[in-house]
Amino acid sequence: MVGGWWLVASGWWIVAVSGFRTRGLSIMAIAVTAILGAPALVAQTPSPASTPAGSAEKGRQTFAKVGCAQCHGLEAQGSPTTGPRLGPGALPYAAFSRLVRAPRVQMPPYTEKVLSNADLADIYAFVQSRPKPTLPPLLQP
Amino acid sequence: MTAAAAPAVAQSTTPPSAPLDSAPGGQPATSEEPLTGGRPGSDFMVDTIKALGFDYVCANPGSSFRGLHESIINYGGNEKPELITCMHEESAVAMAHGYFKIEGRPLAVVAHGTVGLQHASMALYNAWCDRVPVYLLLGNTLDASMRAPGVEWVHSVQDAAAMVRDYTKWDDTPVSLPHFGESAIRAYKIAMTPPYGPVVIVADSELQEKPIESHGTLRVPQMTLAAPPQADSAAVAELATLLVAAENPLFIADRLARTPAGLARLVELAELLQAGVISTQPNSLPPIAAGRLNFPNRHPLNQTLRSVAAIGEADVVVGLEIANFFGATNIFRDQLERSSRSATKAGAKLVTITAGDLIGKANYQDFQRYTEVHMALAGDGEATLPSLIEAVKRLITPDRRRVFDARGSKLADASRAALDRARNDAAYAWEASPISTARFAAELWQQIRREDWSLVNGNLSGWPLRLWNFEKSYQYIGVSGGSGIGYGMPASVGAALANRKYGRLSVNIQNDGDLMYAPGVLWTAAHHKIPLLTVVHNNRAYHEEMMHLQRMGNRRNRGVDRAHIGNEIDHPAIDYAKMAQSMGWYAEGPISNPNELGPSLARAIAAVKRGEPALVDVITQPR
Repeated sequence: MVGGWWLVASGWWIVAVSGFRTRGLSIMAIAVTAILGAPALVAQTPSPASTPAGSAEKGRQTFAKVGCAQCHGLEAQGSPTTGPRLGPGALPYAAFSRLVRAPRVQMPPYTEKVLSNADLADIYAFVQSRPKPTLPPLLQP
Repeated sequence: MTAAAAPAVAQSTTPPSAPLDSAPGGQPATSEEPLTGGRPGSDFMVDTIKALGFDYVCANPGSSFRGLHESIINYGGNEKPELITCMHEESAVAMAHGYFKIEGRPLAVVAHGTVGLQHASMALYNAWCDRVPVYLLLGNTLDASMRAPGVEWVHSVQDAAAMVRDYTKWDDTPVSLPHFGESAIRAYKIAMTPPYGPVVIVADSELQEKPIESHGTLRVPQMTLAAPPQADSAAVAELATLLVAAENPLFIADRLARTPAGLARLVELAELLQAGVISTQPNSLPPIAAGRLNFPNRHPLNQTLRSVAAIGEADVVVGLEIANFFGATNIFRDQLERSSRSATKAGAKLVTITAGDLIGKANYQDFQRYTEVHMALAGDGEATLPSLIEAVKRLITPDRRRVFDARGSKLADASRAALDRARNDAAYAWEASPISTARFAAELWQQIRREDWSLVNGNLSGWPLRLWNFEKSYQYIGVSGGSGIGYGMPASVGAALANRKYGRLSVNIQNDGDLMYAPGVLWTAAHHKIPLLTVVHNNRAYHEEMMHLQRMGNRRNRGVDRAHIGNEIDHPAIDYAKMAQSMGWYAEGPISNPNELGPSLARAIAAVKRGEPALVDVITQPR
């Protein structure tokens, strides 16, 4: 079945120009190519000036309500088979918004008709607020 | 005037001289008619079944095979085979499916030729897609003049195997006991010749119930299994040349390891070449193999956790018994306009080694999309590896050995880094409730790691293959094959039945929706004392379908608020622990506090070690 795509947590975007052949048309798209097993989004420091204000608590509820949690988990922690971890260290808001509104890969699109800008800002605030954990004893090598 | 005479009492039409037990119009019983005695044909059928070495016969009882059933339990002593009572024919076949993947030998299944086969058909399709031999006997009454009115007619059919012929390897309807003997043996041989697959033999009720004496001298023919087919030797030599000269050869293995030898051979070949291997990564993108444990997951050359990068780097990609090679080497995009692009780099050579090229049926499309390859070697992968290994050995020079060693070192570093990333990722949402699938996997691993364990079902979003240590072939036995949901629970019971004699701890990570298709198999496990730890991955929905509904809702700008309709398994929430207890299991739950999970699992494992099946219901994150 369809799974999720992953972005590399290595400090920079991995951007590939990829050709998708679809019913005789060739679409050149900027696609973010993924490496499986490295599910976090690329860490960049968001610019405060370009980030709309949002409520992390409202964002948590909206995140579940509009189905983001189905693939990314209720804590935006991601899942190996369906969707990457979304925070902490989220993308700059503009890039995050582009990925949600007009995804180039497998994620279903969320237009403003189904997700308002205000709700998207709340979701962004929620994923940015996710804590970075320490490695628990059960996961020590 | 006299009173009207009372009407005469109605008289029976039975003549006064007729015996008491004759029905009006029926043939009268006489003292000459035998009503008992004579060895029935089904005794010979059991002789044949015993000669084939079946340990068990799985069946939900049916009148169309009453003769065979009686012969199994009385004439055969209910021993080799022992009759396993199933509550659904789908469970019977799925049990046989799981059993084979542990034991390497098939189970027999018996069912009605109509309604029983209809129930069993999805499970049979799963076995076909998964290349597993299931040996299915069907009861039927072909002679219309011998059918009792009513049920025997709706349970009879002209061509019993017709409805499953598109997804079985072979079938026959014997018309005599000698015919049955030969066909039964032939069916087993065909089932067990790679590519393996299910077979059907119809055991007509007249053959079952009429005395053997009418069939003359009977003997069970000798069984000789065919040696598995190997790929052409010239092609193997050419492939060896390609692999030794390659900069970044990569193996992608799906159902390669039919036996433990397959795993050992792939390790030998990969180490010889210091080549990367991708194996048993279910539900990833690109969609890769999930068939068997072909390669240890923590081996330094295992590149499964970085499969997209590894495929993109490879200049030679060899698919080993891989059904979906197109899916492994292309990236498919499911948006309004569906599209795909190659996942390999320009000029990469693709090669397949598969017995799937030797067999094919057209109706069901499990053969997947056509893949353009540089070489196609038709032969069983496991059987071909020894000659490929020898051919590679002959070509390796000291210079190439140095190149290989450098490559292997880089692959080992990449593999280690991927495992480290997986551990770090597992730490997120560690304390969450519902419980994260990573926490679930880690807690379960903590409880089983020192046992002789066998994961008989379930992949838990890929976390076990990231966090556990898989080294032995019985530690992972793949998935359903046909993605027919309802496979998991009965296949686990069948696999656990096989593991029982080895004293292994069978572990089933059980999806909640899958369990509800035919939960009666829980009773079968308790009744036959099959020890099995089942941990329910209870996310209270058919989440795969939920995601599909979300995709549709968003694509149509209608949102996802109603995507749960038709997909959620809630309101009321099912109490799986109570359900399991009602059928004789030890059970606990639902557990939603992650700190309670470890102790609960420990108690359940103690019950399994006492010989009982045990279930823990765990409330989890969606994926």
